[in-house]
Amino acid sequence: MAMEVQPPSDRKRVKVYELRDNDWFDRGTGFCTGQVVDDEPRIYVESEDEPNRVLLLTKISKDDGYQKQQETLIVWTETNGTDMALSFQEADGCAVIWNFVSHVQQQLLNLAAADDALSDDLETFQTIMLPAAELGNLPEIDHAMRAASLTQAGRDALSKCVIRDEYIPKLVPLVSVAEDLESLSDLHRLCNIMKSLILLNDNAIIETVVTDPIILGVVGALEYDPEFPTHKANHRQYLSDQSRYKEVVPIKDPVILCKIRYTWRLQYLKDVVLARILDDPTFSVLNSLIFYNQVEIVNHIQSNGLFLKELFSVFDPRSADAKRKEDAVQFLHQCASIAKNIQAPARANLFANFISHGLFAVIAFAIKHPNPALRTTGIDILVALLDHDPIMMRGYMLKAVNEKKTPLTDTLIDLLHTESDLGVKNQLADTVKVLLDPQIPLQETMARAGPETYTKLRPNILSDAFVQHHFDESAKRLFVPLKRLEKRTNFNDMKFQEVALYSHLVDILTFFVRQHLYRSRNVIHNEALAPRVAQLLKVPQKHLKLTALKFFRTLISLQDTFYQALMTHNNTFGLILDIVYETMPRDNLLNSACLELFEFIKRENIKPIVLHVVEKYGDKLRNITYVDTFQSLIMRYEQMQGYGAESTDSTLFSQDEGMSAQRMQANGQRWQGVKEMDAAEEEYFNTSDDDEEWQQDIQTNTIVTTSIQNGAASPVVKSLVDYPDDDDDEIMDTKAEPVGEEIQQPQDGIPAADTTADASQAPSTPVSQTAQTPPERLSEKRRREEEDDDELIKLTSVPKRRSSTSGGPGTAGLLRRKKGISIGPVSAADKVTAQGALGNVTTTAPPKRIAISIGSSNAKSSDTESTEPTTDQTSNEKENQGNNPDGRSG
Amino acid sequence: MSDLDRAIEQLRACRLIPETQVRELCYKAREILIEEGNVVCVDAPITICGDIHGQFHDLMELFRVGGDVPDTNYLFMGDFVDRGFYSLESFLLLLCLKVRYPDRITLIRGNHESRQITTVYGFYDECIRKYGSANVWRYCCEVFDYLALGALVLGASSELEPSGPMLNDATMDLELETEVLNSRGEVTMNTHRQRPRSSSDVSTDSRNISPPRDISATPGQPPARSGAPGTGASGDGAGSFASRIGAVLCVHGGLSPLIDTVDKIRLIDRKQEVPHEGAMCDLLWSDPDDIDGWGLSPRGAGFLFGGDIVKQFNYKNDLSLIARAHQLVMEGYKEMFDGGIVTVWSAPNYCYRCGNVAAILELGEDASNGGTITRSNGDYGRSNGVLATDRLGVRSPGRRYRVFEAAAQDTRGMPAKKPVADYFL
Repeated sequence: MAMEVQPPSDRKRVKVYELRDNDWFDRGTGFCTGQVVDDEPRIYVESEDEPNRVLLLTKISKDDGYQKQQETLIVWTETNGTDMALSFQEADGCAVIWNFVSHVQQQLLNLAAADDALSDDLETFQTIMLPAAELGNLPEIDHAMRAASLTQAGRDALSKCVIRDEYIPKLVPLVSVAEDLESLSDLHRLCNIMKSLILLNDNAIIETVVTDPIILGVVGALEYDPEFPTHKANHRQYLSDQSRYKEVVPIKDPVILCKIRYTWRLQYLKDVVLARILDDPTFSVLNSLIFYNQVEIVNHIQSNGLFLKELFSVFDPRSADAKRKEDAVQFLHQCASIAKNIQAPARANLFANFISHGLFAVIAFAIKHPNPALRTTGIDILVALLDHDPIMMRGYMLKAVNEKKTPLTDTLIDLLHTESDLGVKNQLADTVKVLLDPQIPLQETMARAGPETYTKLRPNILSDAFVQHHFDESAKRLFVPLKRLEKRTNFNDMKFQEVALYSHLVDILTFFVRQHLYRSRNVIHNEALAPRVAQLLKVPQKHLKLTALKFFRTLISLQDTFYQALMTHNNTFGLILDIVYETMPRDNLLNSACLELFEFIKRENIKPIVLHVVEKYGDKLRNITYVDTFQSLIMRYEQMQGYGAESTDSTLFSQDEGMSAQRMQANGQRWQGVKEMDAAEEEYFNTSDDDEEWQQDIQTNTIVTTSIQNGAASPVVKSLVDYPDDDDDEIMDTKAEPVGEEIQQPQDGIPAADTTADASQAPSTPVSQTAQTPPERLSEKRRREEEDDDELIKLTSVPKRRSSTSGGPGTAGLLRRKKGISIGPVSAADKVTAQGALGNVTTTAPPKRIAISIGSSNAKSSDTESTEPTTDQTSNEKENQGNNPDGRSG
Repeated sequence: MSDLDRAIEQLRACRLIPETQVRELCYKAREILIEEGNVVCVDAPITICGDIHGQFHDLMELFRVGGDVPDTNYLFMGDFVDRGFYSLESFLLLLCLKVRYPDRITLIRGNHESRQITTVYGFYDECIRKYGSANVWRYCCEVFDYLALGALVLGASSELEPSGPMLNDATMDLELETEVLNSRGEVTMNTHRQRPRSSSDVSTDSRNISPPRDISATPGQPPARSGAPGTGASGDGAGSFASRIGAVLCVHGGLSPLIDTVDKIRLIDRKQEVPHEGAMCDLLWSDPDDIDGWGLSPRGAGFLFGGDIVKQFNYKNDLSLIARAHQLVMEGYKEMFDGGIVTVWSAPNYCYRCGNVAAILELGEDASNGGTITRSNGDYGRSNGVLATDRLGVRSPGRRYRVFEAAAQDTRGMPAKKPVADYFL
């Protein structure tokens, strides 16, 4: 039994570590080689400095857990229990030694297996001969298969042998023989044999297994699982039931018919018969077989014009066969769900063909069907289309509007208002949300779809103004029920459906605002929706309260003056504080949500809101003492007052248009933000005259608030005027710079740091700021400082702010610049802190890093890696999260 | 028999309830859960359970070993769904029990109670398969958003009442700290520690005063506590601060660098999809590890945290123990960092193939204060970190682990997914 593995010839530079007392002890640096001495494979490292000193000499054994980590690390445990690690200079070197180790282990395992099972005949590994398929030979067959399955070579040989000898068809008759004899032990053996065969994960074997004469015999054997000796499954009964296959329009191609049947069997094998025992490779073999079959089936259907014609003619209004129509909807639904798995171009073709044959009419038929289950199915098909290409769908919708037809959205909105089944209502709400999603501009389609599909699917390009118009109209229609709330004073008699509807509507509105605040602004303003949502803060249904609260929390997170003004002149905060009072001693979800909202205001130091809240509701705040959030809010306010006194004249500027305009020009810096806008936004700003209106709005608001406040006017006016935290941004800019890492950063949560942020010229300017800010920055900062009170400038800086709110991965660059703003519950500043904490670990010396990886490998490899049985998603859960479309999550 | 009781019966038999009933159930659960804080306060005695992952039959085994609801109080630390083939049955049963016995069972959120994760790891598919549409999945996800993020167990006893007879009197000075039982209730391992001597070294008799508590009884099996006199009781003198037991914090994953006090958890608006980062994410995703400080998590979400972090956190928050789940441990439970944190895993033979055993953790009730316990919402007695004088008094609770294996094969059919009823393609 000679070692056949050729050791690598050249030497690899490496550091040798040994784990001592939970710390990695550096044994030294040297050159590593793999050797085979006296048929004994080993790893050998000699010292770099003293070539005669041996740093490591270890024998490679077949079962020690060698692990390769991070490209350059090999980690294992010595037979005496010591944990060892080799850290290679080059990934190549690591790979060479690793290959050597793996080969050696493979070989050792082969030898061991041979010793166990077939020591008398090593040659059989190349060409396995299985005993004749007879009942009497079953123990032997079972044994031989198990033995061969242990190594890859054995598996390959076995697969070849099974296919070549057509062994499976020979085994199948034994099942009924054993059943006739009632020989349970033989049946158990047959079951094991079938399992071994399938787990060889050989395409050809699995394809054979699902063919017609074979399948029943195979699953028949698998019904007798020795692990469940007292049970017998009834796979054969299920699989031989022909009635399970439904046919709306006969498929004439026998090959496709066959594929459909095989696919169904494969799925049954995967989900039911083999569900428990599937290993990852077999799982993926099954999946890929299913996938390729489905691609062919879908291709056949979409290219078969006659078939499609017949299929869609089922929905002819003159036809009275209701059952057939329902089945056809189900059929289309199944097509759509299968299409989800196949590649986008094939899917696009399928959907395009469906649509040209009248899919929308079918959807319309389904979603108005009296049976809720069918309505659900109809919406599911629609959702599949939306998931596939929302832009395409919107294109169709807008086209309908353009042609003065009733667009699908109107139908859906009306249904949403009247739908009584809460599940369907839920789905409708999600669909309307995606269809109207104001974020994706139509222009994007050009880039995404090829020119061919583009002309095919979107014959007309619609202007952005048109899109905006349609959005406004649809939104107006959508939010009618909310608007009707105005006249409602009593909320104690709301029906379940109403509550659900309001909750969906507010949820959709929140989504719109977050996705694209400009498009939604019109609607919110014209329809006066904010006060309506505020009304919902008073309903008895707590979850609805929570939804309304979430809306306002989103408004606050946008840090947009328009929305701030909306909130400050509507007694919204009074209502929110009422909720705090209602829930106060109790620690519940509603209470936490309120606290989080005020924490956010405090943390982000949103001045207009702080001023408004403390001045208007100071007493209320002071009485809430069980958390310190409100006291610190008051403290913020007091700090602000100290600062604000210096610039009381700021209010003057707000009334002085000419002055503002001048200042705006003077400050070129401000306009840089505009460049960051996406095209649609830019267009919005160029075309819309809304800006001016809106400004007037704010001034009206100002006046309203002032008159309410009656006296304490100045600070309130200031609250609308003074844009909060440009200075903070400045600091954040500094923070985001790489140099900043080592230096103690001022944290957002610390009042002292904030004070300095507010008045950066104060003597207590933190070290970091002076140390890192280049001189010109500082001067620039002063200049900004002087102009900070200018209202118009603040308004123009809005788009810049807005850019940070979209928060998608694409805006990372913007986010870096604008770290001070954050939409999530956790501020960017906190994140910086977290990363700072992390920095300690990630920048430590190599041995520490190994410590981490070993710790995690021992403790977790079993859990995070090897136990993830779903093959395609083995890596780690988080990664998959990313790949996952958000579409469904609603 | 109410509809709810009927639903419980049906689910216990591993049969699903109709969609409309699921919807009602979810709405009712929402009403209850909205009243819970982000960190729920519960009283000992309580049985703490880790991941279930849709292994319905093993959940039944868990109830067999740990006692039934409402006889035993349970705290489940999330990950009810995904992986196993009966996520729906498992989660809906737990939810039914929650609605039926809100004070007897506490459910907190795991990282798998999320829309994104469930679409990948099986729960979404299971809902589609079993109900034909995603509606039930939507209802469940809505409930997930309302689940609490953690729990604080108060009033746990420092000492266990031994399940078996004590071997000799030499152990009189020792109190039972941990005990490991197999599913037949046999003690397989235990550890003792020195009885605190501070205030009440009075007499051994005082220990007979406290009423015997029975947290070890399981239905259908007489409690094996026929111990010698003087050994069957608990606790030392009443009111001794030296025996003060810190609270036990239960979360699914672990700690977050953004959370330094339990109270900070209260300031999270939890009604949302589990975010990709931030405090809420960390609580559900982090893992303890043998490192110093914080480390990057190989999972891509949450962090790794070391023993020093746990010690500081426990000290600052007056905690005696952090119980968490989230990681498979072959032995069912694993204590780390001098017993500062424990991982409890309750899905035996995980994914029907990992070959591990499962465990649940029982914490007994401290009867030394005559059964009354200091109520707190987590902020009681929480200090600013200077209250160091009586620190020695914070003792870890007595911990009884019941280890169990996957449900016996003949109590269930072969676990498998439900095949599709009809097909067109």
